[in-house]
Amino acid sequence: MESIVSAQLLPPPGPFPRSPLRHPLERRWLHYAFLTRDGSRALVANIAWLGDEGRSAGRRNAILLTHQREVGWSCSQWNAAGPAEPWSSFRLASPPRLLESPPEMPDFELAATKGWPWARLRLQPTSTPGIGGCATFHGDHWQRWQAEPGVLARGFWRTRPGEPDPFEAVGYHERVRGRWGWPEMGGWVFGFCNHAPEGLGEGRPPEWSIVFALLQPGEEMPGQACVLMLWRRGRLIRFIPRRLLRVTAAGQLERDRVETLPAQMALLGTGPMAAVPAALCLDGYQGRDWVQLRFRGRAAARLVVPSETSLRPYSVHEVIGEAEAELAIGPHRVSFRSPAIVEFAGGATAGSWDVS
Amino acid sequence: MSREDAGRARPASAPRDGAELIGRTVDLLAQRAPSILADAARELGLERLVLRFTDGSRALLQADHNALRVHPCGGEEPTVECLLSDASLRRLFDLERRPAELLSAAEFDTRGPTEAVLACWRTFQILAQRAAGLRVIQAVWTDYSRRIPQPPEAAAPEHAPPGPYRPYPDAAALLRDTEESAARTASVAATRVLWDGRGGAGWWTVCGPRDADLFEVMETCQRRALEEVDRLLPRREPRAALYDLMRDYPSRGGKGLRATLCMASCGAFGGRAEDAVRTAAAVEMFHNAFLIHDDIEDESRSRRGTSCLHGEHGIPLAINAGDALHLQAVETVLSNIERLGLARTLGLIHEVIRMCRETVEGQAIELGWIRSREVPSDDDHYVHMVVKKTGWYTCISPCRLGAIAAGHTRPRDLDLLGRVFEKVGVAFQIQDDVLNLVGEESLYGKEILGDLLEGKRTLMLIHLMRSLRGRERGRVLRWLARPRGAKDLDGARRVASLLEREGSIEYGRAVAARYAAEAESLFESELGFLPESESKALLRQVVHFVNTREL
Repeated sequence: MESIVSAQLLPPPGPFPRSPLRHPLERRWLHYAFLTRDGSRALVANIAWLGDEGRSAGRRNAILLTHQREVGWSCSQWNAAGPAEPWSSFRLASPPRLLESPPEMPDFELAATKGWPWARLRLQPTSTPGIGGCATFHGDHWQRWQAEPGVLARGFWRTRPGEPDPFEAVGYHERVRGRWGWPEMGGWVFGFCNHAPEGLGEGRPPEWSIVFALLQPGEEMPGQACVLMLWRRGRLIRFIPRRLLRVTAAGQLERDRVETLPAQMALLGTGPMAAVPAALCLDGYQGRDWVQLRFRGRAAARLVVPSETSLRPYSVHEVIGEAEAELAIGPHRVSFRSPAIVEFAGGATAGSWDVS
Repeated sequence: MSREDAGRARPASAPRDGAELIGRTVDLLAQRAPSILADAARELGLERLVLRFTDGSRALLQADHNALRVHPCGGEEPTVECLLSDASLRRLFDLERRPAELLSAAEFDTRGPTEAVLACWRTFQILAQRAAGLRVIQAVWTDYSRRIPQPPEAAAPEHAPPGPYRPYPDAAALLRDTEESAARTASVAATRVLWDGRGGAGWWTVCGPRDADLFEVMETCQRRALEEVDRLLPRREPRAALYDLMRDYPSRGGKGLRATLCMASCGAFGGRAEDAVRTAAAVEMFHNAFLIHDDIEDESRSRRGTSCLHGEHGIPLAINAGDALHLQAVETVLSNIERLGLARTLGLIHEVIRMCRETVEGQAIELGWIRSREVPSDDDHYVHMVVKKTGWYTCISPCRLGAIAAGHTRPRDLDLLGRVFEKVGVAFQIQDDVLNLVGEESLYGKEILGDLLEGKRTLMLIHLMRSLRGRERGRVLRWLARPRGAKDLDGARRVASLLEREGSIEYGRAVAARYAAEAESLFESELGFLPESESKALLRQVVHFVNTREL
C-alpha cells in the first residue's frame, strides 16, 4: 500500500507526458503571449487543466486578455471558450519550416463568453523550443516548463463589441506541467522579447529572442531556478544556468498602471498585492560571452488566480514594457531594443501580504 | 501668499555656503519628509551641535521637539563641534556610496564628549542615509557639490560586462534621470537583488522606500480630489444661490491632508490611488460642509484667507449649501459602486456614517461647553472631544476609507490604523490651535486669535485655566462667557499674553509633539503588517507633518 502511495506522489515519467492528471493539485498549462512590433498591442492567453482526471473530468480554465496602448486592457473571465484541443507547437517534432511537409495545425481561437475579447490567429512556430526546466519543492510539489519564442501570429482579434481587427504579432508559447499549491509555489518572474527589425516575413524567425525564468518557491535552493536562453534566427544558441545569472529589480510600477483582472475580481474585493517592480535587469555570462537584459514596465494586468488550498489569491502580473539587450556572443557584439512582456507572479505566501 | 507660493518660495537660489546648505536641507525636510527630521532630532537629543565648514561658515543644529532647527551661531556654548570638509559634504548625500564609507573620520572631524560625538554621528547617519533617497534633497546637494572644487579622481572604470565578481546590474539606473520617472516618484529608486546566482528574495518581498516627499504629493492629491469635486458638483440652476456656494470653500484650496491620507492609505494597502480619488472627493465635500456649518455655529469671520460663506451670502443660504454638500458627498460615495463594486462601496458608506456621527458628537460636546460656560479641567476631556470632532474626519476616517477602497475591510487592521491616526489627529488639532495663537494669518488662512474670540476650549486654554487663580481667572472666565460680538481683539490679546506667560503655548506644543511621537511609535509597531511602499512612507511623513507644518 505504501509503495502505491509513494508512486502516486512521484511525477509521471517523461517531461511532458500526455498522461491524465492524477492528483487534485496536478496541473497542465498552455500559455501564449504576443506583442506587435511596436509594442502597442498585446495578447496574452492561458489555458489550464487542473485536478485528478482519473476520478472526475478535472477542471479547465481559460483566460484571454488583450492590451492596446491607447485603450488599456480587455479581459475574459476564467471561462473563455476555445477548441478542446488547443493549438500547441509542442506537438510537432520541430518547427514547421524545418519539416518537409508540415502538418496542418488548427487556428488558435479563444473568446470570452460575452463575445469579446476574441481572437482567431494562425500561429506559426519559427524557432526551436527551449530546454525544459524543472523545479521540485515543498516535498512532493514540482513544476516543469518549456518555452518557445518566435511564434508568429496573424489573424483577427476583437477587443470590444464590433467588427474584428487584423492582428499581426510575434510572441512566445509555453507549456507547463506540475503539481503545486499556490502558497508553496512562492512566485516567479518569466519574460521574453523577440527582436525582429526586418519585420515578420513568411516563417522568418526573429533575429534575436530571449526567454528567462526565475522560479522562487521558497528559501530552499533545490526549488529555486533561474535560467536565460538566447536564440539567434530561431536557433537556441546559449543556455545560461542559474549559477551564472543575476537578477535585480528597482522601483515600483505605479499602482494606477496595474489593472486587476478579470474585472469581477476587483468587484469582489480581492485583497491587495505587493507592488510590481518598475525595472528589471538580468545579466549572465558563459565563458567570454555575456548577456545583459534591461526591462522597464509600462502597464500591467494583475490576473487574480483563486488558490485551491489557501485564502490568499495568487496573482500573475503580465507587465508590458520595453527591453534593451546587450549581447557579446562569440565575435558578435549586439544591442537592441524591443517590446517585451514580463510576468511577475506571487501573492499567496504569507510574506507577500499579510491578510491572515 | 498661497500655500503653493509659501512652499516654493524657499529654494529660490542655490545655497552660497555650507551653513546655508544645511539650513536649506533641514528646511526642505521639514516641509517634505518630517519623519526623517523627527528621527534625527531624537538621536541628537539635547546636544547643541555646531557645524563648521571649510568655507568659513558656521551653523548651530538643535533638536526642537520632533524637529531639527538650524540657527546662526550665537553665544551659546556648543556641546559638540564638527568640521565638515568639502569631501565629506560631497559624500554625505552620495547615493553611490555605502553608509560605512560616508563618515570617514578624517573627513568628518567631530570634537566633544563621546556621547555627544556618537549622537552627532547617528544624526548624520539618518540624514545621510534616509534624506539622500529624496529626489529634492539630491537636487540641492548635487547642485552644491558641483560647485565645490573637485579633487582629481581615478578614471571611471570602463563598461563592466557581466562575469564573476562584477557589480550587480543597476536596475535603478533605468529609472534615474528621466523626466517621466522623476514625475512619478519622489524617492530615488535603489537596486535590489532578486537572484545572485545562489539564492535571492522574491520580488514581492522587496521593500519599498522608507521616506517620501510629502509636499509634492499633498499638492497632487489635493488637486486631484478638488478636480473630482468640481466635476461632480452640478452645473445647473440655481447657481448663484446654491451651486456656486457649494463650490466656494473647496475652491479656496487647503492643505490636502485628508485627500493625501485617503489616497496614500489606499496605496499602502495595495490599492490604486486612483481608486480612492472619488472617496477623497467625498471626504473633501463632507469637510467643507462641516466647515460651513461650523463657521456659523462658531460665528467665525474668515476662512482660508477670505470672508466666511455665511458672511458673504447670509446664514440661511450658507446652511442650505452645507446641507447640499453633505447630500452630494453621500451620492459621491455611492457612485463608487461602478468602479469598486458593492462590497467596498458598502464598506465606504458604513465608514462615512461613522465619521459623520463622531464629528457631530464632538462638535456637540464643544458647543455644549461653550453654552454652559464650562472649561473642562482635564486634558482627557479635551482629547475625547477633539478625537471625535476633528480626529475622525481629518485623520482616522480618510485612512480607513483609503484602506477600504483598496479592498481591505478587515476590522482589526482598520482599528489599528485608527489607533495610530487618532494620535495624529489630536496632535494635528493642538498644533492647529497653537498656530491660531502664534501663526501668520497669511499662511494660516484663518483669523488669528479667532479661537479665543469664538471661545473654543483648546488645550492651551484648559491649561491656562488650570494655572490661573483668583481674580485673574475670574476675569478670563467672564471674558470667555461674552458672546462673540461682545469680545474685543484687545481682550483676546490679553488672554494670549497670559497663555504665553503661563507656558500654555509651550505646553500645547509639547503635548502635540508627544502625541506625534506616540503616533510614530504606534505606526511602526502596529502597522508593520503593511509592506514598505511609497504610500506607506507618505503616511509615515504625515505623522510628523503635524508638528512641522507652518500653515
